[in-house]
Amino acid sequence: MNYSETLIDHFRNPRNAGMMREPDGVGEDTFDGCGDLARFYLRVVDGRVVDVRFQTYGCGPTIAASSAGSELATGRPVADLVAVSEQDVTAAVDGLPDERLHAAQVVAGALRAAARDYLSRRSAPSGSEVRQHA
Amino acid sequence: MKGRVYLDHNASTQVHPEVVAAMLPYFGERFGNPSSVHGFGREAREGLEIAREQIADFLRVAKEEVIFTSGGTESDNLAIKGVAGARGSGHIITSQIEHHAVLRTCEVLEGQGFAVTYLPVDGDGLVNPDDVRRAIRPDTILITIMHANSEVGTIEPVEAIGPIARERGIPFHVDGVQTFGKVPIDLERFGIALLSFSSHKIYGPKGVAGLYIRKGTKMVSVQHGGEHERRRRAGTENVPGIVGFGKAVEIRAREMDAEAVRLTALRNRFWAGVQSRVQEVRLNGHPTRRLPGTLNMCFRHVESESIVLGLDLKGVGVSAGSACTSGNVEPSYVLVAMGVPLDWAMGSVRATLGRENTDEDIDYALEVLPPLVERLRSLSPAAVP
Ligand SMILES: Cc1ncc(COP(=O)(O)O)c(C=O)c1O
Repeated sequence: MNYSETLIDHFRNPRNAGMMREPDGVGEDTFDGCGDLARFYLRVVDGRVVDVRFQTYGCGPTIAASSAGSELATGRPVADLVAVSEQDVTAAVDGLPDERLHAAQVVAGALRAAARDYLSRRSAPSGSEVRQHA
Repeated sequence: MKGRVYLDHNASTQVHPEVVAAMLPYFGERFGNPSSVHGFGREAREGLEIAREQIADFLRVAKEEVIFTSGGTESDNLAIKGVAGARGSGHIITSQIEHHAVLRTCEVLEGQGFAVTYLPVDGDGLVNPDDVRRAIRPDTILITIMHANSEVGTIEPVEAIGPIARERGIPFHVDGVQTFGKVPIDLERFGIALLSFSSHKIYGPKGVAGLYIRKGTKMVSVQHGGEHERRRRAGTENVPGIVGFGKAVEIRAREMDAEAVRLTALRNRFWAGVQSRVQEVRLNGHPTRRLPGTLNMCFRHVESESIVLGLDLKGVGVSAGSACTSGNVEPSYVLVAMGVPLDWAMGSVRATLGRENTDEDIDYALEVLPPLVERLRSLSPAAVP
């Protein structure tokens, strides 16, 4: 499998890995059959993501995409993050092989879920959001 | 960093330098077609027949019982389709953990009206010979069970299954691709009528293999278009490859026993080292009835491919038990058949040792593997309380 240097770098040295106490938003996504799971925690100030943590179980690309996704989310308005796409995450790791596109899918799904969780907590406080791909 | 460490010998091996040397003339001045009548052809034919003799000697069979093919996959296909074709209909017995070359071939035959029984295995990956006996029907035409499984290395009780087949007059095919040249195979005692074996697993070139067909075994050919290989397999033989294969087998004959002892010790040391350094790890396959160099382990809460990639970045080549294709992870069907729980099976890694591996290689692997597993676990939500 040929992976980009960016992907390898994120896999070797994941940024923002770990848990966050009392996050402002949490979301996760899993990939059916694959077992890959990404969970993101957001710290939000004035509607903007100021800190991100992730926990991921999965193949190298999914771990790397999580790290890249955490950087992508940092500094963004939450209103933007709810629309983050698989393509955005793929671009953040400088591309993924076709057989590994699920990595970006899981990470984008988890980031959107975390952003939505933040927004729903603000409108009506509730638990964290968990979403599954069909 | 140390140079590269290859621990994937069940996938393929580096061609032995003596094998390369033996092959070279057959790319050069001995290039003829072995079917040609002239001197050029005779020279090529001579190389072919020397190789056949080297292999027949090693297996202690007649030269006429050995034919050459393009790989273990073709040998398996030819053995199974060849016997099935000669009978036209009937029942085949195999196991759930065969190589796909056997499984898919059996499935295709099912589509053509043959009946197939896929026997289960126990937690160590062993087929029970009593299950074979019970599965035999009046119309059973073939029993095909592998000698050793490539993923977990478990060595099947072919010595007990063969006599059952012989007693009932049913041909017994054994996929010996992973054992040929690594552990002894006694065709007579094991009651084997057909044996598939391949070159690139034993330091020979790729794309060359053989099929032993015991005299009197009724078969049809699968590919047509020539009288080659006693009409069993049409097509001009891969002469340089076959010459190399013969040489590789000759070398195995002198190195096999000592290497089996050495690799078993090296592998056991590797496993002991992993066990003492990493928590939540389990061994897959039979603890002792196992290929000398094969070590298949499951690391809980870590995904196979992330370990393979992490080790690759350290220059260590191993293989993943589960393979993620198009975002769909298939936990290894072999581990599933053995009843390995899914959360373990997803983290399976196979290290397979070979002739060029040293103590230093294992030391290096033991240096890089435990921190990698620890790091990956620290990222994983499953492992974090
Ligand atoms: C048990 C078994 N059978 C068959 C094969 C196929 O052999 P080849 O690669 O020569 O086609 C392999 C190779 O992986 C194997 O391990």
